[in-house]
Amino acid sequence: MELVQLASGLFLLGFLQFHLFAVSTIILGPAAFNADSAWLDEYYLSYLGIPLVILAIFVHGLVALRKAPWKFQEMQTYLQHSRRLAHLDTWAWLVQILTGMAVLVLAAIHIWSTLLTWPIEAAKSITRVQSGYFSLLLALLLVAEIHAMVGLYRILVKWSWIHRRKFTSYLVYATIFFVVLGVIALLVFFFRKV
Amino acid sequence: MAQRLLTFEIFRYNPASPEILPRLQEFHLEETQGMTLFIALNRLREEQDPSLMFDFVCRAAVCGSCAILINGRPGLACKTLTHDLPDKIVLMPLPVFKLVGDLSVDTGVWFRHLNERTEAWIHTDKIFDRQGPEDRMDNPLAHQIYEAERCIECGTCIAACATANMRADFLGAAGLNRIARFLIDPRDERSPRQVFEVVGTDEGVFGCVGLMACDDLCPMEIPLQAQLAHVRRKMALAALRKKK
Repeated sequence: MELVQLASGLFLLGFLQFHLFAVSTIILGPAAFNADSAWLDEYYLSYLGIPLVILAIFVHGLVALRKAPWKFQEMQTYLQHSRRLAHLDTWAWLVQILTGMAVLVLAAIHIWSTLLTWPIEAAKSITRVQSGYFSLLLALLLVAEIHAMVGLYRILVKWSWIHRRKFTSYLVYATIFFVVLGVIALLVFFFRKV
Repeated sequence: MAQRLLTFEIFRYNPASPEILPRLQEFHLEETQGMTLFIALNRLREEQDPSLMFDFVCRAAVCGSCAILINGRPGLACKTLTHDLPDKIVLMPLPVFKLVGDLSVDTGVWFRHLNERTEAWIHTDKIFDRQGPEDRMDNPLAHQIYEAERCIECGTCIAACATANMRADFLGAAGLNRIARFLIDPRDERSPRQVFEVVGTDEGVFGCVGLMACDDLCPMEIPLQAQLAHVRRKMALAALRKKK
């Protein structure tokens, strides 16, 4: 179970960053974006990848949530404990659970809306972003990145592959970098004419 | 340095007289130089309220009986200087453990249960020869075992752990550190697979979600992150081998 959680989490992390880079090619222009999408299509990576990602999200969700405080009493104990302890890592777990749930909902909407207008093309994406999806995608970007980075931190801590305190700042920089990259890509989508 | 007047808010409740409801009682005390919470509590009991209950034995961070919640965070009363605390100090008993009264809790039952569950003794088929020389062990290994052995069973890591607070059957850092100690001891003949039966579960090492409050707050500064990770890796390996 623990290994499944680790593997699915790492896989999704890899996917998220790859996805972000792929989408960011819009900054270079629609041609680059379309070439990217076509290349993925040509090698059937999209057809293989998308079901795999959906599956991974489900598996990861089920496996990881088994530890979350499901019972009301557990939730109460946890919140009381966190307030009392005033300990950053302990609060980060709440962030992790909440962003995880938000990702489930937002990612479902995002995948659904994208698949409706298959294949992925710059023009379609631009219309979609400008027709009200901007805020949803911005929210998804934020929660997904935070969830991924806190998750990565926790994996590294649990298996003790890092020195905890030194590494935290690198992860914060990485989070800021990816969020900024994503926001720029979103803004380009938003302001570009079809 | 001007002397501070410290305000203590101390949890009061005696299960033997349940008609008096749990409450926080306020005390005032002038701070003295080098004052620890242990000294402060003793003075409060001697000078202000002889019915105040709290635990201590050694007053030197060896026995592990004086752990309490200090402004919400678990720690040893004898090792905490009032100098490092604000003017107002809230003292509560440790959560998770059974309350004896006021600040005193019973960690003994919990740790006894832990020792029974992890069978925290050397398992060996060798017959002990009382006259013969001891088995030799090289120094680095002995140090490694000692590192885990330094645990004084104060219960700080258990009180600091969100999982242990939520789930009564979780072994916690103290339990997993104990496991780590026997995993590296060559005299213990239990295989990782046998250990896996005990701790390869969500009540054992995989119940830990890595919040690391135990590692941050351990008064003995045992490297609990490393100890937990050691058990986790060993158990993951044992799980993979088991499937084959």
